[in-house]
Amino acid sequence: MCDACGCGHDHIHKETKTIDVNQSLLKANEEAAAGNRRHFDEDGVFAINIISAPGSGKTTLLEKTIEALKDELKIGVLEGDIETDLDAERIRKKGVPAVQLTTGGACHLDSVLVHKGFHLLEHSLNGEGLDLLFIENVGNLVCPSFFDLGEHIRVVLISVPEGHDKPLKYPKVIKTSHALIISKSDLVQYFDFDIEKIKKDALSLNPSLKIFVTSAKTGEGLDEWMGYVRSKLKYQKSK
Amino acid sequence: MHEVSIALGMIDELTRLARENNAKKITNVKLRIGKLSGIVTDSLIFAFDAIKPEFPILASALISIEEVPLVYECRKCGKAFETDNLSFTSCPVCESYSLKLVSGEEQYIENLEVET
Repeated sequence: MCDACGCGHDHIHKETKTIDVNQSLLKANEEAAAGNRRHFDEDGVFAINIISAPGSGKTTLLEKTIEALKDELKIGVLEGDIETDLDAERIRKKGVPAVQLTTGGACHLDSVLVHKGFHLLEHSLNGEGLDLLFIENVGNLVCPSFFDLGEHIRVVLISVPEGHDKPLKYPKVIKTSHALIISKSDLVQYFDFDIEKIKKDALSLNPSLKIFVTSAKTGEGLDEWMGYVRSKLKYQKSK
Repeated sequence: MHEVSIALGMIDELTRLARENNAKKITNVKLRIGKLSGIVTDSLIFAFDAIKPEFPILASALISIEEVPLVYECRKCGKAFETDNLSFTSCPVCESYSLKLVSGEEQYIENLEVET
C-alpha cells in the first residue's frame, strides 16, 4: 500500500507540476507601500522619502527645513539608520516628533518598517495630525531606490564633494526621484564639480526632475526648496 | 546588497505559494529579470542559495533566470530597438529622445516547479 495516500497501489506519489506566478519579486514591499500611501492620504499627510549616500547632508537639510516650516506646518520625521538614534535626537532638538527606525544591518528602509514607525509617530502625537512626514532613508544611493515606502515624492541628495558623476553611476535613484538636491554648494570652489554637467546628466535620465542647488551654510537655494515643498503639499491637499 | 532583502521576500512568497498549492517541495523557480531592473542576478542567486537551507520546502530549489533585454520603441518613427545603454539613449534611426520602454525593467517570479 502506498504510504503517501493509502490508495492501495504500490507506487511512489511524486507528481510534479508547474505553478504560473507572474508576480513582482518585491510584491510584499509593494503591497505594504500601497497600504502606507492609503494611510497617509486618509490622514492628510504628505510623505517625502529622502535618499542619499552617507554624509550628503540629509539630516542637516531636514533641520533647515524644520526651522523654516515648523510654524506653518505640523511636521514629523522617521529616521532610518543601521544603528543608533543620533539623528532622531538631532531632529527632536528642533522641536518636532521623530521616531528612529534602526534596520539592524539592512541598507535601506522597507515599507513594513515605515508602517510600524508611522504608527509609533502617530501614537506620540496624542491625536494631533501631521501635515508633512519626512522619511530619512539609510545612507545609501543604491538599495533604497528599489523600495517604495508609500511616499508621495522621493528626493535624492548629492553633495558637491561626492562628484558630479553620480547621476550616471546611480541611474536608478535619479530615475525614480522627483527632485535632486545638490548640497554643499559652498564647496564648489574647492572641488572639480561641474554643476551644469550634473544637471544635464540628471535630466537626461529623468527629464521631469526638479533640481535645487543648495547650501545649508550660506542658505543658497533653501528658499526655492521650501517653496517646492509648500507647492507639492498644497497640490496634494487640493486633490 | 538589496538582493538579500529581495531573496528573503521571495522566499516568503515561494513558501506561501507552495502551501497554497499543497506542494511538498519546490524544485525550480523561474525568474524574469530585466537588464534595467538594477538587480544583480549573481548576487540574488548567491543570497537565495545562502538562505534556502533554513527552509526545508525549498532547500533544494534551483533558480533559473531569464534575462530580459532592454528594448525601446521610438514614439516618433516607431522603430523598436534593443540597446545595452542603461542610461538615456536616442533612436538609432531618427535620433529622437522620445522613447517608450518596451522591456527591461522586469523583476518577476514567472513560475515554479513543485512536487506534490
